[in-house]
Amino acid sequence: MKKTGIVFFPAFDWSLGETHPEREERLLYTQEQIFEEGVMDLPQIKQYSPAVADLRDVLRTQALFPNPDRHDLDAHLIAVGCSLVLGKALMAKEITNGFVLVRPPGHHSGTVVWGNRGFCTLNNEAILVNYLRTYYGLKKIAIVDTDVHHGDGTQDIFYYDPNVLCISIHQDGRTLYPGTGFCEEKGGPNSWGSIVNIPLPPGIGDEGFLYALEKWAMPAVREFKPDIIINSAGQDNHFTDPLASMNVTARGYGKITEMISPDLAVLEGGYSIQGALPYVNLAILLALAGEDYSGVIESQKMKRRVLGGEEVRAYIDKLHEYYKQIEPRWRYAQRQEWRLPAGNWVIRERDIYYDTEGIREQRYDLIRECRQCGGTVFISTSNLNTGEKAVLVKIPFEACPACEQAGYDLAEQYKKSAPTLLLQNQLHNRISFWENGKEVNLFATHN
Amino acid sequence: MKIGIDVGGTYTDAVLIDSGQVRQTGKVPTKQDRLLDTVLEALDSLDIGAKAFPREKVENIPVSTTLVTNAILQNRLSAVELILLPGSGMKLDSLAWPVPYRVLGGELDYRGRRVADLDSHEMQQLAEILKEKFLQAKQQGEKALAVVSGKFAHRNYILEQQLAAYLRKEIPDLTVALGSEWGQTNFFRRSLTAYLNLATRDLFSDFRDKLTKAVRARGLNAPIKILKADGGMQQAENIRPVESVYSGPVASLLGVLAQSQPEESYIVVDVGGTTTDIGLVLSGRPLLSSKGAHIGNFLTNVPSLAVRSVAVGGDSVILSAAGKQTTSEGEENINIEENINIEENINISLADYRLGPAYCLGGNNPTTTDALRYLGLIDFGDYIRAEEAMALLLPEDMREIPRLRNVAQKVLNLMVEKIALTIEALIKQWKEEPAYKIWQVLNPQHDYIFPIKLSGGGAGGIAEALGQRMNTTAGLAKHSMVVNAIGAAMARPTFSWTLNLDTNLRRYRIEETGEQGEWRGSLRPHREVEQFLKDLASKQAKKMGLDESQLETEPFDYFPLIEGYLTVGQIVRGRVHLPPGAFQLQNSGLPA
Ligand SMILES: [Zn+2]
Ligand SMILES: [Zn+2]
Repeated sequence: MKKTGIVFFPAFDWSLGETHPEREERLLYTQEQIFEEGVMDLPQIKQYSPAVADLRDVLRTQALFPNPDRHDLDAHLIAVGCSLVLGKALMAKEITNGFVLVRPPGHHSGTVVWGNRGFCTLNNEAILVNYLRTYYGLKKIAIVDTDVHHGDGTQDIFYYDPNVLCISIHQDGRTLYPGTGFCEEKGGPNSWGSIVNIPLPPGIGDEGFLYALEKWAMPAVREFKPDIIINSAGQDNHFTDPLASMNVTARGYGKITEMISPDLAVLEGGYSIQGALPYVNLAILLALAGEDYSGVIESQKMKRRVLGGEEVRAYIDKLHEYYKQIEPRWRYAQRQEWRLPAGNWVIRERDIYYDTEGIREQRYDLIRECRQCGGTVFISTSNLNTGEKAVLVKIPFEACPACEQAGYDLAEQYKKSAPTLLLQNQLHNRISFWENGKEVNLFATHN
Repeated sequence: MKIGIDVGGTYTDAVLIDSGQVRQTGKVPTKQDRLLDTVLEALDSLDIGAKAFPREKVENIPVSTTLVTNAILQNRLSAVELILLPGSGMKLDSLAWPVPYRVLGGELDYRGRRVADLDSHEMQQLAEILKEKFLQAKQQGEKALAVVSGKFAHRNYILEQQLAAYLRKEIPDLTVALGSEWGQTNFFRRSLTAYLNLATRDLFSDFRDKLTKAVRARGLNAPIKILKADGGMQQAENIRPVESVYSGPVASLLGVLAQSQPEESYIVVDVGGTTTDIGLVLSGRPLLSSKGAHIGNFLTNVPSLAVRSVAVGGDSVILSAAGKQTTSEGEENINIEENINIEENINISLADYRLGPAYCLGGNNPTTTDALRYLGLIDFGDYIRAEEAMALLLPEDMREIPRLRNVAQKVLNLMVEKIALTIEALIKQWKEEPAYKIWQVLNPQHDYIFPIKLSGGGAGGIAEALGQRMNTTAGLAKHSMVVNAIGAAMARPTFSWTLNLDTNLRRYRIEETGEQGEWRGSLRPHREVEQFLKDLASKQAKKMGLDESQLETEPFDYFPLIEGYLTVGQIVRGRVHLPPGAFQLQNSGLPA
C-alpha cells in the first residue's frame, strides 16, 4: 500500500512573541481539524515522531555567523529534524510521500544566517535537500515553493547550484515582502536557468495559480528530471490570509498538491490560522494520501474579487516568454583585490535585510566559473549593525578537482585574516570552522 | 481481605488476598459462552466463609472479564441506529466504518461554532424512517437504540442535543446516546465508541445484575468492581460497558506491578495457553496507549494500556511438515508463519491455536510445553511423554536424541523470537510516541534496557533464552500462575479529568465525560482556571469514592487567542488524574 508519512510538530510551547503571527496558536486548530476528521486513522497515513537535527546537518548548508551559539535554535532544529525524519522514511521506502507539518518555517533563511528573517532561522527544505544528497547520493532535486512570499532563502542557498531547481510562485515582490523573486533572478554563472521565479499579480485565485503551475512550473520540473520533488507548502495564498492578497482556496491547494505531486511537502508560511490553516492543511494531507478533498470547505466565504480568466492567462504567458529571453550579464572580480585562486570569478554584491531583528547584511558572493561542476563559492559577509565580518567558502557537491583546490586555497588564504571562516566541503561531507585564526570544533559540545 | 477474579481465554483464576498476602488460589476452565457461570465457579473455588476468611471481611469483588470484548469480536451486539452529522471535510467513506450510518446536515467548526443548522425537513424524514424501522424491531423484541454523533460536537453538543430531543419526542421509547459523551477529539472513534457502548449496554447490565444477585446469594455484600482497559478498577454500576474491553492482558500487567518496587521499569510478559501478552511499565507506571483501544473492526477512544498480544503460548501446537501429524481438526486454520529447517525436508512451525493440553500433560499433540519439558527448562509434565512428543515431529528413521534436542531447541527459538519481536514493536511504539512541544523533544528518555518479568504457566522455561535474545535479565514473577487474578484484586482505581476551555467563546468542556458548560471567569485566567479544574475534579472524584488527595495535576497549556494583534481570550488545557497502579503485595505471601 502507498503510505503517506506525516510529522506533526506544532511547537505548542514556542512563539516569536505573544501576538506574533508565528505563535503557539498557529497550528492549534489544524490539529483539532485533522485529529477530529480521523486523518491519523487512515490506513495509508503513518505518523512519525519529531526529532532534533544535528548542527552538522545545518552547517553543511547554512553559515551561522558569527557562530552557532549566538542563535536560539531549539525550535528550528526540531523543525529541521522533522524534515529529516520524513526524508529518511522516504529513502527507506517506508512512505511514498510525506508532509512535514511543522513550525517554525524556513524558506526566508539563506546561505548566511546573522539572525531570523521572515520568521525563519534555519531553512528546513534546503538542509533536507543537502542531507539527502550527502547520505543517499541524490543528484538532482526540484523545489517548488508555493508560499505567497518569494522563497528567497531557498533561492539564495541554491542560486549557484545547477543540480537543484528552485521554482517559486508568489505574489509579485513589488507588492509584498521580501520584495524579490523577479524573472531576472535566474541563477549563477554555472547554474543559469536553475532558478525560476513566477511573480503573480495580487488577486489571483485557484485558476490562475494552477495555470502558472501547469504551463510553466511543471514543464520546467519535467525537463529537469529530478530524483525527487519537494514542495515548500506555504498556505498564505489563501483568500483569508492577513498578510497577502491572493485568493486560492483550500481545495485549490489540494489541486496544487496533486499537480506538483511532491515526494515531500514542507509547511512554510500561512498566518490565517483560523480561516485557512485547518482547511488547507487538511486538503494538502488528503491530496497526498490520495483521498478526496472536494469536501474541504472553509466556513468563511470569499469576499475579495478574484483575478482570473483570459486576462490572467495572457499575463502569465507573456511573463513566461519574457523569462525565456532573459540573458545573464556577469561582472567579474579582480583576482588580486580578493586574493582569488586561478579562474574567472563572477562577483555579485548583495544587501540583505533581516526584518525580524532589523539586521542589515552586506555580502559579496564570488563564484568560480566552471564547465565541469557547480563551482566553488566564496562569500564575504558583514553584519552592518554589529560590524562583525565573516567568510564562507563552499566546495560544492561533485566539485571538480580545480574547484576543490580553489576552495582549499581560499580557506588557507582567509583563515588567519577573517574573524570567522566556515568551510563547507559538501564534496567530502566535512565542515571546518575557524575563529580568530584558530580552528574550532563546533560539535564537541553539541554531541 | 481482597478477592480477585480474572477470566482468561482458557482458564479463569481466582485469588484471595489478606493483609497483602495471597492466602488462596483457584483455577477453573473458562466457558466462553457461559461467562457468568465461570466467574461464579471461580469464586466458589475459594473457601470463603471459613473461619479465617469471614465473608464480611471481603472488601470488594473485582472481576476482569472478556465479556464485552468477546461480544464485539463475535458481533453479538444490540442493533443501534447510527446517525452522523459530519458537516464538510474529509469524505466519510475515506474511513472504514464497520457499521452502517445515516447522514444529516448541520455543521460546526473546529472551535464548536455553528456553521450550518439542522434541516427540519431532513429531521422529519429521519423520524419517519426510524419509526417504521423500530416498529419492526419491536415486533422482534428488540429495543429502539440510536446514537447521534456530530463532527466537533465534543466542543459543542448543541446540534446533537437538538436532534436527540426531537427524536425522543417523535419516538417516545427511543434511547439516544450522544457522541459528545465521549469527549476526545476524533469524530470517527467517538461515534464508534458511543455505538459500541450502547450496543453492549444490555449485555453488560444483564451480566452485572446476575453476578450481583449470585454474589449476594452467597452472603457476600462487598461491591462488585470491573477492570477497565486503562488498568483502573471501577464499581460495576459506575462503569460504561465499553470501558471494560481488554481486561485480560491488563490484569497480568497489574499483577506483576503489585509485586514490584514502586519506581521500577520493566517489561511484563504473560505466557498464556495460546497467546502471550506484553506490556511496559515505566517508573512504576504502566504505559498508556496514545490512541484508544482497537477492538476487531472498531477503532475507539477508550483509554487503554499499551499492551500487545502475540499468538504463541504454552499450549501452542507444534507443526512439522514431514513428521507425523496428529491434528484431526482445524487443519485449514494451520498458520505456518516461520519455518525453520531441521534437516532438508523437515519444517517446524508453531500453530496459533491449541488442541487441548500438552502431550506431556496428557494431551494428544506436541506443544511448546513439551519442548520446554524435554529441554529440562520446566519441571512439570511427564518427561518420557515430552520426549515422545518431540519424536512425533520427526520421521521414524530420524528420531535420534541429538535430532530430538534440535527440534525442541528450534521450538524454543521460535517461541522466543515471536515474543521478542512483539516486545521490540511495543518499545518502538513507545519511543515513537508523537510529541507536540519542544521540551518533550529535547528531553527524551529512551535509553533504558528493561528487565523482563514473566508470568504464566510455562513462562519460567523461556526466561533465560528470552533474556539472552533481548540482552537483558529475565525472571519469573512470584505467584506466576495466578498473576492475572492478583492484578484484578490489587488494581487501583484510575481517574482522569481533562479540561478544555475557550474563554473567548466562554465555553468549557471535560473530555472524559463530555460535560460542557459556560465559563463565567475572566478572559485570561491563570490560578483561577487551575482552581476551577481542581474543584470540578474533586467533586467528581468524591462521587466515585476516590481519595482526592491522590490526584495529580499536569502542567496546564495556555494558548493566547489573537485576533488582529489583539488578545481576545485564551484557550486553556489542563488535566487532573489518577494514573493506573496496583496496591502492593507483601513479599512473603504463600499460595494456599
Ligand atoms: Zn509566506
Ligand atoms: Zn569546477
